Amino acid sequence: MITHHPSDFTLARLAAGTLGAGPQLVVATHLSGCPRCRRGLRSFWAVGGAMLDEAAPTRLSPDAFAQALRRLDETDPPAEPAARVLHPDLPPPLNAYEIGRWRFVPPGFRWRRLTLPESPDANVIMLKIAAGQPVPHHGHSGTEYTQVLTGSFTDSLGRYRAGDCIEMDEEVNHQPVVDQDGECVCLAAVEGRLRLSGWIGRLIQPLIGI
Amino acid sequence: MSAPAPSADDMKQWLKAVAEHEDRGAFGRLFQYFAPRIASFMERGGLNAAEAEEISQETMVVVWRKAALYDPAQAGVSTWVFTIARNLRVDLARKASRTSAGVAAMRELPMRLEASVEDMALASERDARVRSAMATLSPEQATVLRLSFFAEKPHAEIAKELSLPLGTVKSRTRLAMAKIRAILERDQ
Ligand SMILES: [Zn+2]
Repeated sequence: MITHHPSDFTLARLAAGTLGAGPQLVVATHLSGCPRCRRGLRSFWAVGGAMLDEAAPTRLSPDAFAQALRRLDETDPPAEPAARVLHPDLPPPLNAYEIGRWRFVPPGFRWRRLTLPESPDANVIMLKIAAGQPVPHHGHSGTEYTQVLTGSFTDSLGRYRAGDCIEMDEEVNHQPVVDQDGECVCLAAVEGRLRLSGWIGRLIQPLIGI
Repeated sequence: MSAPAPSADDMKQWLKAVAEHEDRGAFGRLFQYFAPRIASFMERGGLNAAEAEEISQETMVVVWRKAALYDPAQAGVSTWVFTIARNLRVDLARKASRTSAGVAAMRELPMRLEASVEDMALASERDARVRSAMATLSPEQATVLRLSFFAEKPHAEIAKELSLPLGTVKSRTRLAMAKIRAILERDQ
């Protein structure tokens, strides 16, 4: 049962295309398991359609339509990328992305980096944290998005289970801890620069190179 | 004098004619309606006139190519065209010469997952409902919605337009948007 969702503001920005590539991947992974948020996305898409209808028509160059017709004849449709699943154990669209190898630093904590060909600057990482360990927070330069893939963790605001998406502003000061019943795997991204804080963050930040 | 706005059914018919008969006359009507609006929408989102016109043309070429994939049960024509233009705009911003497999998976996801009969029944009415709901938003809500669609740094611009301190704008924006969504989905 999903109890934590990205904000409607985030869904609106996803619909509009103004959400950053990293957060977009985290939120899209949440959407693949959350009908409630998919409905929200579609509502905001419809808002986009309505805004398009309401846009005051601008003046195009006189031969705009002729040019478009020429392009229908000239352009070969670009090859659509083949659908692929690189990681059958992960939900879409996350399972279509290349993910680096696990790094073990420090004990009880592993992380691996995702490659986003569409946005090489985006920093999205997957974290695997042992039962009872604190979750390093990453953020402080923008809103932080975390999707729980397996396991659960708890902080002063609640408990977060597989399928939950947590959207946390930089000013929120919390110390989440993985629950005792097993390890926890999460996907995390921030808007803006990714910066890890806390003792784990200080330890691995030089290694991640950000 | 501009031509009267086409109805949602007109647009569906034109798209169908494009899909089934490669009807260039119908494509011309779609172009006449959408291309100047897409360009205007893109200029509002910060593109210059040339870039905006380029996106509008590219969008219409994709409309031509993908007309057969349009499913009236999933979305209104304007919403469908909007999502095409939006994706091209995002690709331009990222200077992506081609869409990655991950992005392709991301883009087809919401539609693909929503193929149940119940959702289709809802989809056919969603556009009209959203439109009338938008007309009932307060000026503050309308500003939040507009800036989340068009502003690159929505929080900063919402703070400026609504004279809110930056410290409170995030929570205010979130509350406003949750209310907006409740209004949009009120009758569901
Ligand atoms: Zn959700």
